[in-house]
Amino acid sequence: MKNGPLFLIGIFAALSISWGAIVLGTGAQLGSLTPYYDDTEGNSFPLRRSGIAAQGAQVYADLGCAACHTQQVRRPGFGADQARGWGDRQSVARDYIFETRPQLGSLRVGPDLTNLAARKPSPPDAQDLMKLLYAGSETHPGYRFLFDTRKIVGERSNQALSLPRDLAPPAGYEVVPSNRAEALVTYLLSLQNGYEYPEARPAAPEKTAEENKNEQKK
Amino acid sequence: MTNAPSTPGARAAAADTSAIDFAARGPLLLLIGSGISWLVISGLLALITSIQLHSPHFLAQYSFLTYGRAEAMRETAFVYGWAANAGLAVAIWVLGRLGGNPLRATNWLFAGASFWNIGVTAGLVGIAIGDLTTFSLFQLPRYVQPLMVVAYGAMAIPGVLAWSGRRRGVTFAAQWYAVAALFLFPWLSSIAQLVLLWSPLRGVAQDVAAGWYAQGVWTLWLTPLALSGAYYVVAKESGRVLPNYDSAPLGFWSLVFIGAWTGGRHLIGGPVPAWIATVAIVASVVLLVHYVIVGLNLRGGWRARGTAAGFIRFGVVAYLLAGALDAITAFRSVAVSTQFTFVSTALEQLSLYGALSMIFFGTIYFMVPRLTGVAWLSGSLTAGHRFLVTIGVIVLVVALAVAGWTQGTDLLNAKTVFADVIAHTKLPLLIVSGAQLVLLGANVLFLVNFLQSITTSVVADVVALNPIRETTEASAS
Repeated sequence: MKNGPLFLIGIFAALSISWGAIVLGTGAQLGSLTPYYDDTEGNSFPLRRSGIAAQGAQVYADLGCAACHTQQVRRPGFGADQARGWGDRQSVARDYIFETRPQLGSLRVGPDLTNLAARKPSPPDAQDLMKLLYAGSETHPGYRFLFDTRKIVGERSNQALSLPRDLAPPAGYEVVPSNRAEALVTYLLSLQNGYEYPEARPAAPEKTAEENKNEQKK
Repeated sequence: MTNAPSTPGARAAAADTSAIDFAARGPLLLLIGSGISWLVISGLLALITSIQLHSPHFLAQYSFLTYGRAEAMRETAFVYGWAANAGLAVAIWVLGRLGGNPLRATNWLFAGASFWNIGVTAGLVGIAIGDLTTFSLFQLPRYVQPLMVVAYGAMAIPGVLAWSGRRRGVTFAAQWYAVAALFLFPWLSSIAQLVLLWSPLRGVAQDVAAGWYAQGVWTLWLTPLALSGAYYVVAKESGRVLPNYDSAPLGFWSLVFIGAWTGGRHLIGGPVPAWIATVAIVASVVLLVHYVIVGLNLRGGWRARGTAAGFIRFGVVAYLLAGALDAITAFRSVAVSTQFTFVSTALEQLSLYGALSMIFFGTIYFMVPRLTGVAWLSGSLTAGHRFLVTIGVIVLVVALAVAGWTQGTDLLNAKTVFADVIAHTKLPLLIVSGAQLVLLGANVLFLVNFLQSITTSVVADVVALNPIRETTEASAS
């Protein structure tokens, strides 16, 4: 390798080819995805987030929630995502077209959240999530900085968390969620992938030879 | 260089030292020193995050230390703090030596290194206040990223000058890898910034781009930096032409051309076009050619003795192992249970710590005496560092792999409730914390040894340059 310029052209080509194919190729393939309009529903999917849920998405990102929680359901049959009640269909690219920064995540220290608001058997409600965020659990940290503990002036706020005795603030005080906590919970409760796009319908699992035989016998 | 080297190794190092080494030793030692300091900071953060994994309430009340932010800071301090500083010192020094001339434009190296480290510091503060980008290996906030490219460009100038002004027409493998790393990072980073931060792609195309960048950081930047050090030191220590050296160009070009294609294996089963994963699986297997060649070439250092060769031997073995495991876990049938688990964390640590950092350690142990003209001050600190870091890395990777394997099997079995999945990983994760503590201790020893050795060399130089002061003192007494 005596030829310096050729060497540089070589490494530049290596980088450009992979960038062009992987990054620009995917961009071209997915860049033109549009929301899917469903005649029977009279609506197009995915739905856009409300303003406060969009703020919550930013809170989710800046706290780094994606370090432990994924937001991508694998197809039924590939892993146990469906059996765990995380979603009945796989996530598809169209799900994310309105996300400014998708939070796919890469590690499942916590459960997948793609379909949190419609999780089976029973989805959490706002009060559950607030309590989890404030007090944590055995496996989830409590983020008290998302809440204000303040003196009750006049009437108790209707936003105040109703906490069990061991977690409750001293008498005369209440714990209220900050705007960030409100936004985060609104966001979490907006997470669901119930609508089934044509491309997301799970392909029927291939029949094994044995099943085919059984069918023929019938 | 007044004090006579005491050990045979130091004498060899001193005999090997020339004006080429002295020309740039200030900035190079600055790079190494900041690198080791970042390594210690990253180790502290790694200890925090590893404790948080088994005791989630640990430091949870501080918003700047949520697991997500602390983990992003750990990774950034490790890659952009430690690996980048150490790797650049290695690459530029290797280019200077093999170029055959004293390094030029070292002021640029100094300025670039200063701004790079300011950038990393600002980036960590930015992550702590919540400005992380959430892309793996690309967590530095948007407002720091352009600075990093400019600072890197400044640092690369002496290396590029040494390459273009080299005395010999023939070049060596160590030079190819070093020059490639110098050029590739700014290109890689600037086009990743373009499509992720300044004009973001739509939806999951961002994740594909981020995966491509993360793989590029590993295969097109950090690996070449490490391999330039490994090829140089192994050739020096073994004192002969590396075995199967004819195939080294193929090893280089296969890494550069195929490496970046393997990033999509982390997106298997994800909401991205299926060809991304398929191409990545094929590329991971084809890339084995590169690993085989590197193994064949660097087996030349198998019999070499000494600290530097020992570290590099460990690093090369870890590198080959990581390559093989990357290819195996890329297959869909394996990925179905290892994806989203600590197995991927284990492989990342095997690559970043076991392979890369060990090779950097070895090269630094080789480099510093040649830069300062003084041997490492404490043999026992060196031995302690080597012992602890070896144990630490092995335990870390094995414990993470065990945790990940348990987690993966449990996740596949929907009857295991999620809380139990986490509970089952507790013991291995406790061991991981222990390993992180050992690694932190080891690297503190390394930092102390480095600082002491540098101080000794500076004192020796000052004494050598001021002989008058000694005589006046003598006459006064």
